[in-house]
This record gives sequence, C-alpha cells and structure tokens, in this order.
Amino acid sequence: MLVLKIMAVLLISVSVGILYRIPRKLLVYVSIVGIVAWLIMYNTMRLGGTEILADFLASIAVGVMAEILARILKKPATIFIIPGFIPLVPGGDAYITMLHMVEGHYIDGVAKGMQTILTGGAIAFGIFVSSTIFRLVKNYNLESSCQDAGKN
Amino acid sequence: MAISLEQMVSLAGIAGEVMLKNGAETYRIEETMDHMAKACGASAVESFVIPTGVFLTVTDGDGRSLTVMRRVHQRTINLDRISKVNELSRRLVDQRLEYENAKVILQGISKERTGFSWLPSMLASGAIGGATAVLQDAVFFEIVAAFVAAMLVRYIAHIVSKLRGVQFTFEFLGGMVVALCGVLLHSLWPYLRPDAVIIGGIMPLVPGVAITNAIRDVIAGDLLSGLSRGLEAALTSVAVAMGVVIILALRL
Repeated sequence: MLVLKIMAVLLISVSVGILYRIPRKLLVYVSIVGIVAWLIMYNTMRLGGTEILADFLASIAVGVMAEILARILKKPATIFIIPGFIPLVPGGDAYITMLHMVEGHYIDGVAKGMQTILTGGAIAFGIFVSSTIFRLVKNYNLESSCQDAGKN
Repeated sequence: MAISLEQMVSLAGIAGEVMLKNGAETYRIEETMDHMAKACGASAVESFVIPTGVFLTVTDGDGRSLTVMRRVHQRTINLDRISKVNELSRRLVDQRLEYENAKVILQGISKERTGFSWLPSMLASGAIGGATAVLQDAVFFEIVAAFVAAMLVRYIAHIVSKLRGVQFTFEFLGGMVVALCGVLLHSLWPYLRPDAVIIGGIMPLVPGVAITNAIRDVIAGDLLSGLSRGLEAALTSVAVAMGVVIILALRL
C-alpha cells in the first residue's frame, strides 16, 4: 500500500513537471524531491504529529532540496519547488470544507476551513523559511568575499 | 564592435518580456535584464518589473540613456523558457556568446513551441488527478473517474486559452466540471463516492506558480509583485472552490 502511494506521489510530481513544462532532463530530480517531501509528511503524521507540523517540515525539505539542486544544476529553484509541494496540498481538507459549507454546517466548515488555510500557510511558510536561509547565506558570502563588485 | 544603445535596450527588453510572460520571479527578471545590458556594455541599468509590465532604462558609456516599457497581457507558464533565457544570460555575461547570436537565440526561444504539446499535458493532468485519488485511498473506478475528470479540466484549459483576456474563468469552469463528474458518478453508481474524484480533479487547478512566486517575491522585497501574485493565488483558489460549491449545492 505504501509502495503504491509512493508511486502515486512520483506520478504527481512528474506530471506537474510536464504540465508546467520544466526541462525534460530535470524530471528525475523533481520526482525525488516530491517523494522525499511526501515521505517526511507521511512519517511525521504516522508518529503523531499534526497535519500542520507535517506539512511545515515537508515543505522546508522541499525548499532546501530545491535550493541545493538549483545551485548544483544552475537552474531556477522554482522548477524544483512547484512539483515538490503539490503532493502536500491539503485537497481533501478543502473538499470537506466545501461540503460542510454547502450542507449548512457553517461551524464545522469554518473549523475545517481554518485548518486548510493553516496547512496551506505552513507549506508557504516552510518554503519561505528555507529560501530565506539560502538568501542569507548567499548575501553573507557576497559581503565577505568581494570588495570591488559592490552592490549592483 | 560597439553595440548601440537601442540594441542593448531591445535585447534586455525582449529577455524580460519573455521571462515575465512565462512566469518567472520578479527579482530574477530584473537581475537578468541588468546582467544582459551590462554584458553588452551599458554603464548603468535600472529595471522595474511588475506582473503586468517591464520597465527598463539603460545608460551607455557616453551618458545617453533610453527607457522602454513593455506591457504584458497574456501570461502562461513555461518553466523551460525561463531556464533557457537564464542560460542565455549566463553565457552572455561570461562572454561566450556574441550579441547577434544572443538576439537570434532569444527570438527563437520566444517563438518556439517548447516542452510538451497538449495531448501529453492532458495525460499529465489526468495522472495528477488519478494519483491524488490513490493517495485518498480510492477504489479502482473512482481513480479512473478522477483521471477522466482531471483530463477534462485540461481540455477546458485548452479551449478557454483561445478566448483572451478572461481571468479565473478556466478555474471556475474546471471546478464545476470536476464536481459534475463526481456527482454524476455517485448518482449513476451510488456505491462509488464522489470525494476522491473531486479532490483528484481539482488538484491540477492548484495555482502552484502563483503561490511559489508570491513567496519568493516577498522574500526578495518585491512587495508589489508579491501581493498581487498572492491575490492571484487566493482568487484562483476561491474560483475553483466556488465552481465546486455551486454544483454540490445544486444536488441538494
């Protein structure tokens, strides 16, 4: 069952890559990023973590892997981020929110909707944190290594 | 070999326009235009990019300066082109490429049909839907239905992309069609649940590029672009949700 799900995550990452037309040679790296991120999320939830924590940790992993791959392969980091985080998107929660709202269960709907928004926010903030760390490292290296190049 | 001011502006302007049209981050576009113009011999470059336009001022060695503005109406997502323009600018900066060749290559990039054609993207969209249904522990026929629903979403995108200047219509219609697929499946075969079909079907509609670019623009300090892209992502999600909700509400 777990193998089947890992295959599904691989399929999602590669398909998102095809849909957003990333260079074909990078589809392999993209699928690795997707699978690692999803496994982190799956295992965090299995060990009793909340969905928000799981998605946060997984999306930090996505950001870190994407920035490292971008440095090694000299490609924009966006290419690796987008297919990496799509399998983490809380589609199920969003659907349940809509269902509650339509059936008139507004309190359940708002509660589930809040959870959906926070989970989405955790994904966004995970990418934010990892990208910020890499930008800080880059700026620090620039400051310390070059005197003549200056800023712009 | 002196490159004239007009040529510098034109080269950097086209590069910026191609990158913006295909969904690059704001700071990447500005840096690429700066690097390209300076590699051609400009003494100072100022660039300003917002999601709907590119502004560029280049000053040459004699102190003359020229400003161009390029308005971008139609935006698509093609990360392959961004990566190619990126590569081109690196080669230009490293003096591994002449100006004339760069211009020809750039025009080639903006015209060529890169990546995958619409049938593979339909299959890819379907695969996203089917695989998401697998993650939701769906049974076999629900997975097949999610595959078909997600493929239909892509087909709608193919049709709607021909009608220019309408935003969020594709997402709204996509949400409606996906919900319709799920509800129809459930009413034809009541033992199949619509949940996995709808969840799988709306997955290709997630605004991945808008979300990522919004975050990266905000980090880079381009607050204007970051906010407008964040709003784009939020409105897209609302459009999808409204499409689904309207169909679900009709059933009840």
